[in-house]
Amino acid sequence: MMEKPNHKEKQKVGRVFLVFAGICLLAIPFVVLSALNYEPKESKAALVETQSQDFDQNGKSIFENYDRISRDYLKGTSTERTLGEYYSRRQYVGSPPFIPHKVEEADEAQVECLACHARGGWTEELRRNTPLTPHPEQVACRQCHVRMTTDKLFVVNNWMSLPPPRLGRSDLPGAPPPIPHDLQMRGDCIACHVGPGAVTTIRVEHPSRGNCRQCHVPDSYAEPFQRKPNF
Amino acid sequence: MNITRRSFIKSLALNSAVVAAATVFPGISFGAWKETDILSGGIQWKKTPCRFCGTGCGLLVGISGDRAVAVKGDPNCTVNKGLCCVKGYHSVQILYGKDRIKKALVRKNDTLVEVPLKEALDLVAEKMKETIKSHGKDAVSIYGSGQWSIPDGYAASKLFKGCIGTNNVEANARLCMASAVTGCLTSFGLDEPMGCYEDIDNADVFVTWGNNMAEMHPVLFSRMLANRKSKTHVKIIDFATRTTRSSQAADKSILFKPQTDLAVANAICYEIIRNKWVNWSFVKKHVSFHKGKTNIGYGTQDHFKFKDKAETVDFKEYKEFLKDYTPEKVEKISGVSAKDIKYMASLYGDPGKKVTSFWTMGMNQHTRGTWINNLVYNIHLLTGKISTPGNSPFSLTGQPSACGTVREVGTLTHKLPHGVVMQEKARKLAAKIWQVPVENIDPKPTYHTVEMFRALDRGDIRFMWIQVTNPMVTMPNLRRYRDGAKKEGRFMVVSEIYPTPTSDVADVVLPSALWIEREGFFGNSERRTQHNEQIVPTPGDTMCNTWQLIEVARRLGFKKQFPWSRKTYIEDIWNEYIQFHDNPKHRMAPYKELKARSGIQWPFVNGMETKWRYNAKYDPACKQKDFHFYGKPDNRAWIWLRPYELPAESPDSEYPFWLNTGRVLEHWHTGSMTRRVPILHKAVPESYVEINSDDADRLGITNGSKVKISSRRGSIVMKASINGRGRPPRGMVFVPFFDESYLINEVTLDAFCPISKQPDYKKCAVKVERA
Repeated sequence: MMEKPNHKEKQKVGRVFLVFAGICLLAIPFVVLSALNYEPKESKAALVETQSQDFDQNGKSIFENYDRISRDYLKGTSTERTLGEYYSRRQYVGSPPFIPHKVEEADEAQVECLACHARGGWTEELRRNTPLTPHPEQVACRQCHVRMTTDKLFVVNNWMSLPPPRLGRSDLPGAPPPIPHDLQMRGDCIACHVGPGAVTTIRVEHPSRGNCRQCHVPDSYAEPFQRKPNF
Repeated sequence: MNITRRSFIKSLALNSAVVAAATVFPGISFGAWKETDILSGGIQWKKTPCRFCGTGCGLLVGISGDRAVAVKGDPNCTVNKGLCCVKGYHSVQILYGKDRIKKALVRKNDTLVEVPLKEALDLVAEKMKETIKSHGKDAVSIYGSGQWSIPDGYAASKLFKGCIGTNNVEANARLCMASAVTGCLTSFGLDEPMGCYEDIDNADVFVTWGNNMAEMHPVLFSRMLANRKSKTHVKIIDFATRTTRSSQAADKSILFKPQTDLAVANAICYEIIRNKWVNWSFVKKHVSFHKGKTNIGYGTQDHFKFKDKAETVDFKEYKEFLKDYTPEKVEKISGVSAKDIKYMASLYGDPGKKVTSFWTMGMNQHTRGTWINNLVYNIHLLTGKISTPGNSPFSLTGQPSACGTVREVGTLTHKLPHGVVMQEKARKLAAKIWQVPVENIDPKPTYHTVEMFRALDRGDIRFMWIQVTNPMVTMPNLRRYRDGAKKEGRFMVVSEIYPTPTSDVADVVLPSALWIEREGFFGNSERRTQHNEQIVPTPGDTMCNTWQLIEVARRLGFKKQFPWSRKTYIEDIWNEYIQFHDNPKHRMAPYKELKARSGIQWPFVNGMETKWRYNAKYDPACKQKDFHFYGKPDNRAWIWLRPYELPAESPDSEYPFWLNTGRVLEHWHTGSMTRRVPILHKAVPESYVEINSDDADRLGITNGSKVKISSRRGSIVMKASINGRGRPPRGMVFVPFFDESYLINEVTLDAFCPISKQPDYKKCAVKVERA
């Protein structure tokens, strides 16, 4: 007596599940696609007003900048920028990267690199999220960043430099990793480690915590501490 | 080196970084560079001034093992406070070009072959002796550079002027700042700017006179922009002959016709007087008025001679002289509207505004270079806007030690480290310090640079030693001087780091140590002396230029004058050299201080730098209240009545275009270093000719198409650039000179300022055609 409706119910549940699974399957590409094309409503970062050398001289403006960044921007992700690409534009760790896209000499006006690179966000023209500059107070961008117009060299150069730092070098499992790079002109962590313009592998998982330097400290080649008793 | 367990593990961890990355991201190569052997230890940062322009940025070079691997700006250096330009950030790559000259080369059967360095040095000394014996001491010469380290120039001057006894000592700085020197000397009696870079932080108005600072002095330009950004009222006026990146960033861009800056400067003074903006309390106490000769020629013929004669006049005569330069009259000559002239005058004239004027090659490479320097000083003197923070007529230099080695050591034919050869007192001082008989020092100057190369062509000079410069790219009217250098019976010695058109004509090439491969000093535009230690080893047989000179001097029999040990010679030379400047007007900092700090400004008196000269508040040499222009015998700064005169060559119906030449941001001088830096070469791989779009349309020239530029001296075919980085007005073309494949100086004219003898690379007449 009880079996039949039970059986029918099971069949009904199964059918509902199948339909749901089907819808899910159909939806996956859309979800993925929309995630890839994530475009936050307010994906603008604010401008750091003054920054000369390092965090400790610029802490205030860095915090203010952090305050002004919308939650949407902080949560923004994309997978389009990789570390390999990041280093391929540099001659050594910390060198100014070249400009990888077309730029025109503006007509009778200053070239406005900062219109995009100080505020970030989606650029329709390049179909990419714009990376932020960690030093938007510098306005003569093309003093250091130049565009490549050829692949050929004049003479081969036997240049060598150090390998990029290894990621996640925590001293203990699960401990916050130290900062493996120099902070001069790159003291504003959120510019490079947060948001959809950041390199995927170095984007932090907890962008809503603004006091980065509370846990992450600069790493350097210091000799291990040794006491020198004073007697 | 002590390797602790921890640092070893750390090294291992770093070493495996690339491997690890490659595992996580298969197929992706990390970094655009080859990685060094990391077991050599971590990175160590060492300070040095930058190798390139006269700004004198402090760099920190990252060293791993025996290689330079990275650069950052030196935050302790007040010049750049941690910021560099693209050349500075990639500067260390100049050490590693594959074709670096590491062995001495001697020409045998018309090809350069490698020989042991000793053999090459023996040959140089032998040839010098031979030439002196057969043709006299004035048949040997040395041509150096504003990139000479201070000890290089000092050793060269001591050897040639003190020991051999010839004044055949010149340097490429003659082509770059000789007019700035004669400008300073005629207006103030002493060389080098009175102000310093702190003027940039204090000025309310900047006027750049024919000076594309955004590309040529980018770090100072950024400092100017930072000042403008931090205040609301700061204005930048770009006064130039073509539109550049600097014009784009300026608040106002004013274009003038080549050479007419002379007229505009006078018109500004006319307006200042007419509007009663003259600072009379300053002028009455500190200024006197003078006029010199006019119609002074252009020096295009061999053996050209000129000597100016100053005549003191009064303010009334000056005012009368300026009547020819009303804004309305000058508008017709210069193409600058009377309104714009009045605007510029109002900025200079406003007593509430601090004004800084900047210039480099636009005013110095000028057949009236000394005059235009004088005329800009006139503006600052009439308004009393000088020698105070933010009020500064400021001539910037193009080379890292044009000031340090050429102007201060005096590596020019008429100069000694202190004073000029014509003064008995100066010769006596030099003879005493150099330990040579005073009769050794010839009281008569010989050849300035252009005339020195003419003498080589004529055969009056038979032996020339060239160090740290590339004249076979940079001499104007180049073909004559290259043919001259290749003539039979000439012996050319070239100290170089890479093959260049100059080493191509050499009989001996000496391999030189470069920049941080040796110890030395530079001196920048703001009287700042900067020490660098040797921080990487010298490759192959390369040898410091100073030591090359010492080796040859000893072979010539001057062991007594060149007694130093290889270990301490740079310090010993410094200690000897600064005896020349041991007075409060020029005292240099001691070796120990220079080694410890990121540059020190002279006069360095009682442990203090002098930031503003001639101002009693800052300058201990002042003996009057407020200001004291102690360089001139009347203790005043001189205003000069200098007229507008035509250039040596102007466009006509046959050659209807102006040719202007210069640099680009990415390349430095002839590109022998920067073209070997991958990123700089890839950004600007070859030279080009900038042409106005209207002219291009008319001549059927399209962007990138081939154009032939010809003058009465030569021609060149290169690609056109229309609406590119720089935009000349109609009737002008501009060509960067860095590219040895396009020798634009075969087209330029060897006319020069008769006072400074500096050639004008900015103006000659050319024809432009589709090729």
